[in-house]
Amino acid sequence: MARKLLLDKVNVPGIRSYEVYRREGGYRSVEKALKMVPADIVEEVKKSGLRGRGGAGFPTGMKWSFLAKPEGVARYLVCNADESEPGTFKDRYLMEFIPHLLIEGMIASSFALGSNTSYIYIRGEYAWITDILENAIAEAKQNGFLGKNILGSGFDCELYVQRGAGAYICGEETALLESLEGKRGNPRIKPPFPAIKGLWDCPTVVNNVETIAAVVPILNEGGEEYAKIGVGKSTGTKLISACGNINKPGIYEIDMTISVEEFIFSDEYCGGIPNGKRLKACIPGGSSVPILPANLLLTTAKGEKRLMNYESLSDGGFATGSMMGSGGFIVLDEDQCVVRNTMTFARFYHHESCGQCSPCREGTGWMERVLKKIENGKGEMKDIDLLWDIQRKIEGNTICPLGDAAAWPVAAAIRHFRDEFEWHVLNPEKCLTENFGLRHYADPIHVPA
Amino acid sequence: MISFSEIKLKEVEQIIARYPHGKQKSALLPVLHLAQDQFGGWLDTPVMDYVASLLAIEPIEVYEVASFYSMYNLKPVGKYIFEVCQTGPCMLNGSDQIIDYIKQKLNIGAGETTADGMFTLKTVECLGACGYAPMMQLGKTYRELLTKEKVDSIVEECRNKAAINN
Repeated sequence: MARKLLLDKVNVPGIRSYEVYRREGGYRSVEKALKMVPADIVEEVKKSGLRGRGGAGFPTGMKWSFLAKPEGVARYLVCNADESEPGTFKDRYLMEFIPHLLIEGMIASSFALGSNTSYIYIRGEYAWITDILENAIAEAKQNGFLGKNILGSGFDCELYVQRGAGAYICGEETALLESLEGKRGNPRIKPPFPAIKGLWDCPTVVNNVETIAAVVPILNEGGEEYAKIGVGKSTGTKLISACGNINKPGIYEIDMTISVEEFIFSDEYCGGIPNGKRLKACIPGGSSVPILPANLLLTTAKGEKRLMNYESLSDGGFATGSMMGSGGFIVLDEDQCVVRNTMTFARFYHHESCGQCSPCREGTGWMERVLKKIENGKGEMKDIDLLWDIQRKIEGNTICPLGDAAAWPVAAAIRHFRDEFEWHVLNPEKCLTENFGLRHYADPIHVPA
Repeated sequence: MISFSEIKLKEVEQIIARYPHGKQKSALLPVLHLAQDQFGGWLDTPVMDYVASLLAIEPIEVYEVASFYSMYNLKPVGKYIFEVCQTGPCMLNGSDQIIDYIKQKLNIGAGETTADGMFTLKTVECLGACGYAPMMQLGKTYRELLTKEKVDSIVEECRNKAAINN
């Protein structure tokens, strides 16, 4: 059984309340942090090897150390709770069931960064979680962990929750800041990075919910202890939200040493695929990351067992690998259609494009239309090449990574399942009532079930 | 004359107080949520103009935000809005069938409202409930692991609630 650092107490009855959370050892990290020098806290986070849990995997300690500290200018910590990447629902779980963990992490991190006013920007649809967080903040304040002169340390901190209003793009940190300033969520051109010019042009750090929560065990146990868990540059634990065609969808805290095979098939995690179906494909890190067929998912091109961590999931690059991304793990069984699944993602990105950059604004809609055409049995062979051409012209040609995020799933689907696209074109009638199934595999009987 | 109640105006003040002096425009998204709740579930132009005046910003600054975010309704909606997710993970678990069933049951298409003004059906993109698919948002909460039977009981529940409120 893997060690849990974030969700170990999530099943304690009443853990949502301050009283129970505190009794279970909550807020120790704030007590400890306030006695430290802020720069030493940043050092601990650096030592921990913690990487941003929102999807990019950038080292958190390094991001913190970039924060500019000009004299007399306010600095801000903003928590990115705009969880919107299809397949991802881990931050919601953490905030809903153990909200004080995030509040505790926000207070300790605010102290480390010198932020006297911090914000949690939460996606608008998580309306009931906003209430849960605001309640937790009020409790923390009543107990002296927020407000003026926290625990007599001289440090003042206020924490507010800001609700978005339905826009995937606001998960991109500069779009999030624009939204927090009361504007459309149009990403900014970088540089300057938020660490120099962020919220209201002040130095700002934006971190994901899970990242901020991980600061709590890092402070409690020390960065070096945290770094002992996991493997290589995948330190600590990671929340995986598992969904699609599995027996036990939900949130799992893993220690990044287990194999993908164990994660899908063992009863401790996903519990295998329902109804004895076989594993057709998987998108292991949220809708943006490349889809992999079963063989490449379970084993790298070098023939090694693929593990649930940053390095192993990306082993082989985009040719034969994928990415850890946000930890949104989507499993497709043999009855699923890769073309249709890709079409829903293209529709998603078309809907969510902010419209600033032409390649993304026009390209996402174009991909959706072409994919719909193929899915509906009206495609031609040249449409598959056209799709490839469009995605290639979006990638790398936009202000923010949404363009890449929209291009990658289409590229990977064609790269690995071109035969399924061609089958749709060659069987315009049949593809409306039948699925391609496992015909992609030379030996379907040996595809794991 | 459009105006928030005293209590809501207090709430607006509290929201503005979360930001530094002069940055009251940051209150725009939260205040638009309040306005939509208070003024019939959608944002008519006079409502947006009122919000602009409250925050001392230009009406165009409100319009451009209201039209950007999918949760703001720019035309009238039914009393109950079924916002059904149709993205990948929900699709893999049968959201297409649930959407078809709702269309048939309420006799409306996506984006339409029933003649009695009771229900609106909206197809939406990923709401972060992928492990509990298929799902829909109804008001402030999520309804998850939907089946046809569950849809029936939700429709029933809404009708009963509306009857009591009348």
